[in-house]
Amino acid sequence: MNAPTPALVAPRPERLRLVGQRRQILTMMHQRLMFGLLVYAGVVALIVLRIVYLAAFGDHAGAKRGLTALVPERGDIVDRDGQPLARTIDAWTVGLWPRKVIGNKLDLARKLAQLMPERDEATYFAMLRSNKSFFYLRRRAAPGVVEAVNAIGEPGLALEREPDRLYPQTSLAAHVIGYTDVDGKGTAGIEWALNDKLSDAATRSQPVQLSISSKVQQALEHELLAAMTHFSAVGAAGIIMDIHSGEVLAMTSLPQLNPNAAGKGSMEARFNRATLGVYELGSTFKPFTVAMAMDSGVVRSMGQIYNCPNQLNVYGRTINDTHPFNRTCTVAEIMKESSNIGTAQIAAQLGATRQKEFLRKMGFLDPVAIELREKGRTLSPGSNWGPLETMTVGYGHGIAVTPLHLASGYAALFNGGLYRPATLLKVGRDHAAAKGRRVFSEGTSYKMRSLLRLVVTKGTGRKADAPGYRVGGKTGSAEKYHNRSLLVTTFAGVFPMDEPRYVVVVMLDEPKATAETYGFRTAGWNVAPVVSRTVGRIAPMLGVRPDKNREPDMSTVLPFVHEKTEH
Amino acid sequence: MSARSFRSVFTVATCAGAALTCYLVSLNVASERAALEEVETKIVLAQRDIRLLQTEIGTRGRLAQLERWNVKVLALSAPSADQFLEGGFQLARLGRPEPKLNVEAPVVLASAPAPHPQPAPLEEGERRAAGAGATASSAAQLMQQASLKIPMREPVQLAVPIVGTETRNEQSVAKKVLAPANSTAEKSESARASKPAKPAPGKSAKAPETRPAQADKKAGDKKIVAAAKPVTKPVRTAKVDPLAPLPASANSKKTTGNSGTAR
Repeated sequence: MNAPTPALVAPRPERLRLVGQRRQILTMMHQRLMFGLLVYAGVVALIVLRIVYLAAFGDHAGAKRGLTALVPERGDIVDRDGQPLARTIDAWTVGLWPRKVIGNKLDLARKLAQLMPERDEATYFAMLRSNKSFFYLRRRAAPGVVEAVNAIGEPGLALEREPDRLYPQTSLAAHVIGYTDVDGKGTAGIEWALNDKLSDAATRSQPVQLSISSKVQQALEHELLAAMTHFSAVGAAGIIMDIHSGEVLAMTSLPQLNPNAAGKGSMEARFNRATLGVYELGSTFKPFTVAMAMDSGVVRSMGQIYNCPNQLNVYGRTINDTHPFNRTCTVAEIMKESSNIGTAQIAAQLGATRQKEFLRKMGFLDPVAIELREKGRTLSPGSNWGPLETMTVGYGHGIAVTPLHLASGYAALFNGGLYRPATLLKVGRDHAAAKGRRVFSEGTSYKMRSLLRLVVTKGTGRKADAPGYRVGGKTGSAEKYHNRSLLVTTFAGVFPMDEPRYVVVVMLDEPKATAETYGFRTAGWNVAPVVSRTVGRIAPMLGVRPDKNREPDMSTVLPFVHEKTEH
Repeated sequence: MSARSFRSVFTVATCAGAALTCYLVSLNVASERAALEEVETKIVLAQRDIRLLQTEIGTRGRLAQLERWNVKVLALSAPSADQFLEGGFQLARLGRPEPKLNVEAPVVLASAPAPHPQPAPLEEGERRAAGAGATASSAAQLMQQASLKIPMREPVQLAVPIVGTETRNEQSVAKKVLAPANSTAEKSESARASKPAKPAPGKSAKAPETRPAQADKKAGDKKIVAAAKPVTKPVRTAKVDPLAPLPASANSKKTTGNSGTAR
């Protein structure tokens, strides 16, 4: 290193040179050191900053996620008062992983058979020995069973919580609410119709509010079921509807099933007679015919006279009456005694074109308008809607609609003439009432009040009267198409008649005669009392005040009724 | 000098202290946040429990079950149309008070078995005239006696309220002069106050003719009059006693007056 250097060039002194070199190295060293320090400080600062950030804004060990809001797996369904009709709860599920079982399989099978006797010991043993990886032993297990299964202490038995649909009111409004399958997908009723809304994460936190009032529904179901059992009917349907908004307050179809165990219900019980079943509803159509005739100017007064013989032979067919007049009769009398002959003549005067147009405007030729997907296809004469068909449709034969059609039609007839589709969702701020379309004039709607009140005060529907509630309506008894000896009896009514607010449609499928009906099985004897009792129960809940001094203006019809014809 | 040399130390200490404080604050915030989250979690859990319990209660007390209980046990039914009232007036009409004929009479009758039989029958009689029924047999006996004497006093008493003041003067005059005439006229029970009041002037004209014949009757009657006189006296003294008959007549007037205004 200390090699001699030529002295020719004035050399820098060795010492100096060394010093200079050293300083240079030192500076470099300093720089490197500084750089390393900065890098180190930067890393530390980064860590510190991260820690500070985490301390200030970050998570911590005790944080619990996912429980800050109570959002059910599937949205609730509540009635118009907020009473829950369908809810999702956490239920226990007992499962089995056969490969994870470590204990004696025979013993385990015996214990399981004791705890859950729906399968026998051999089945459990076969399940335990099978190659499948998983079995459901029981879904929606009771807490006691879960506890006992847990006490077995077998790792192959899995206890899990699973969202499960519960219908607290059991069979109440079962056909409206519907039910879900095991995986929580709606398969009937509102559960089916609004499945997307109920299961969507964005909307399921808000319950779906139905227009059903569970108290009204219960009253209707109870009274209808009592009548159905009493008259040994195979089925029944009932609808109560607000005539101004089209809200369905109660809708039932009997027999009905328990949606908590929908699989156990029969096919008959799953069938919704109120919206899916179509029936020839008979004389309940007569008010429509009269209203159509009044609206078109065919009938100008309740006193208009028609010739009502014992039989009417038209187009090769004979029309009969249950209470034949065999004289001239007025429109008021035709309605009061439910005369087919008179109504057929009115319908004939009206003509097929106008009749069809009115029925179309009332929605009677289309599937019923409602949220449910169970909608029946109505039956009508269709292309061969001739003069005879016009007459029979005039008194409700040859046309088959659902009871909900009838309720919507009566609502349109009495709310001032506006047809509004029925709805099962509560009309309020977030669900406006559907837009109406005019079917009848307001004057016609007004005149019909006293006419239908007359049917209840003096005519065939006397048993439907609930004292003080001014029920008005029309009975209807139609023979079944496939067996003319079986009847479908209906009562379509409105109350209070002086200021109509609610429509009630009640139908019994194949009622039988009993001793106290003196062998009769027409609507006036079996469904009319149901209406009376139901209205007596629900009207105070709906805020309808009973008043025995109020009546619609009966002076428009009473002068045209000759009491002599009283039977 | 020393302070200057330690300056850097102080600076570092201050910085460290500030950083520590900041860290403590943030730690505090974080712990508060954690506590809040815990509370929120508790709230949600409580809500879930409430929901579960509500569901259970709703399921156990479902309407179908209530209906079943009602059918089997309670048997409640919907109110009928007659059970609804228009308003306060209709409600008040339902609570009509019991019609009171004469309240005071039975109260006085209770004290009827009086120790002094002489004034008692008269009092009883007077009350009997007011329309009260007797309960005790002894009292009834007393009253029968008294009822014989009723016609004597009654015109005097009842004529006062019904006939005007002028007729009252006339009556007093007539009575002084024609006491027997009155007594004969009123032997029948049916003779009422209005009757003697009207014929009074007519009889005063007849009076002079019959005057001599009345001497013996007068003597007999005077006893009655004397016996009747004490009747008026208790009436006066009775003003002190609230249960006495005179206030009774006054009360009856008042009540009729009141009911009249009420109607």
